[in-house]
Amino acid sequence: MTVEFLLCLGTLFVLAGIGAPVAYAILIASLIYLAAAGQSVGIAGKTLMDGLYNSFILLAVPLFIVAANIMNAGTISDRLLGFCVAVVGRFRGGLGHVNVVASLIFSGMSGSAVADAAGIGKIIIGMMTRSGHYTRGYAAAITAASATIGPIIPPSIPMVLYALVSNSSIGYLFLGGIVPGLLMGVVLMGVNTLISHRRGFALEAPVPLRELPGRTATALPALLMPAILLYGIYGGVTTPTEAAAVAAAYALILAALFYRALSLRKLYEILVESARSSAAVGLVIGGALILNYIVASENIPAAMAEQLVGLDIHPLAFLLSVNLILLLLGCVLDATTLILVIIPLFLPTCRELGIDLVHFGVVAVVNCMIGLITPPYGILLFVINGVTRIPLAEIIREIWPFLMVLIVALLALILFPDLVLFLPRLFGYAG
Amino acid sequence: MGQVLTRLSRLAEAVAAVIMAAMFLTFVLQIAIRYSARLEWIAARFPFLEPTHFGWTLEFCLALWVWLIFWGNAFVVREQDHVTFDIIYNHVRPGIRKCFAIVASVAIAVGLLWSFDPTWDRFHVLRIKKTATLSALFGDWIRMRDIYLIYAVFLIAVALRYIWRAIHVFRNGTDTPMPNSDGRPDE
Repeated sequence: MTVEFLLCLGTLFVLAGIGAPVAYAILIASLIYLAAAGQSVGIAGKTLMDGLYNSFILLAVPLFIVAANIMNAGTISDRLLGFCVAVVGRFRGGLGHVNVVASLIFSGMSGSAVADAAGIGKIIIGMMTRSGHYTRGYAAAITAASATIGPIIPPSIPMVLYALVSNSSIGYLFLGGIVPGLLMGVVLMGVNTLISHRRGFALEAPVPLRELPGRTATALPALLMPAILLYGIYGGVTTPTEAAAVAAAYALILAALFYRALSLRKLYEILVESARSSAAVGLVIGGALILNYIVASENIPAAMAEQLVGLDIHPLAFLLSVNLILLLLGCVLDATTLILVIIPLFLPTCRELGIDLVHFGVVAVVNCMIGLITPPYGILLFVINGVTRIPLAEIIREIWPFLMVLIVALLALILFPDLVLFLPRLFGYAG
Repeated sequence: MGQVLTRLSRLAEAVAAVIMAAMFLTFVLQIAIRYSARLEWIAARFPFLEPTHFGWTLEFCLALWVWLIFWGNAFVVREQDHVTFDIIYNHVRPGIRKCFAIVASVAIAVGLLWSFDPTWDRFHVLRIKKTATLSALFGDWIRMRDIYLIYAVFLIAVALRYIWRAIHVFRNGTDTPMPNSDGRPDE
């Protein structure tokens, strides 16, 4: 490791540590690196612009953000919930199951865990606490846990970011997420059943079966969306990036024309908000592009790969330790930073050890999403705290069992790569 | 002064919203054109829908995306919208937090201004480089540097913003700890 690289890291940690935005901390650190290495500091801006201007797949990010914001603003979420209550609300812990199933469906429409928690999650927390059968901490905790499925089942913004840094196919990554997402849903419903029985949560009044067709009919256009997106991508109608535009367009048509729940004023606000988040994220992506350029020119991932391969480390041991590191880092860093900055360090070693990059990517994204609910720094906990005012301490007290089973699911995904790779292979993935 | 700034910031938001909408619509147009290309009568009846006229959509989206990022960060993104690591920042005494904010702001402002000249230098050669497809949309004058121009605007605007923030924090102290992030829909 060279002196200039140590200076770069030092600047990055100090600036980010004292609260400077991560993107600017990276930018300044890379300027220090270039200057110390005797190169022009102008390279930073040029690398960043070239990288952004050539990454077509990144265009999916702002469009998925728009789609998620539209779905939350229209009444699409409410109708989905009405449908889920009619289907799984009748069992013990019913609204908990509704919560998970709604997240599963919603995750097939949006690529964002935060959008899930802030939108459909907020509504169902209200329903759960009003029913009087659940503590508000429990309602918030299961919502946070189920929101982590959002970016696992396609579409998925974090997977787009991973595809960017790893050069793997978004299409196969998306496919690889389907089974893991369902698995996460199943284990969460399992915990919910267990806790509901142990604590004796009262049953909800079941929705009469004759109401089911009506509720299905109102929710149907929304329920169709995951199917349309998947068909679009795998039927060869749209690229995964264009699917993001289709998602936004479909959500817009549903909310504005079909459900008539979106005014022009509201649409304008959605565009501004989406632009704001997209720009903030885009800058971090840009920063990561420069950082990856520096890390690559320092030859660090390759050196690391050489070391680890020299140690004759078993691929499984490597995977497990990387995941442990990611879980620990996930307690203090956000997922975007992890995926764009930390994960690229491990990719050359994965290649050397023969670990499949689609398998690794899906596992890593699941891991980063679990990181969204690990205290002390779990974005989803903050989001739910922000939109519902349920105290963080109450949410954190109830989050542990959900966290545990999600980690067990993660472990299963690491140990059995077929869980991830089965679907991609079915569609012709050669890995 | 305050009122003028508010107006300008509303205007900047409107520009960002227009960029966002344009990006979305261009994508929809791109998909629509690709499918209408299969139906020959469409191009025959409406010559302007001829698919070869729409080769610019992809690059136009990329240009919009780059402008969205840097226009957005220059004029629309607020301090609390950024991805930050705020665990330490939120747990130190207000006096230290004030120092943190000032040091970070000054470092950003100085760094960005320092890089301005060398960066513009690097962009110099782009003044003659043509874009791949955008001439079809804007006419023959457009060059790569016109697209990269927004990065220069960003450097100056953000540097000024952080100088202002440093002065503001020096005079008035920091605001209360940053609230926990509202989250961004990218995660």
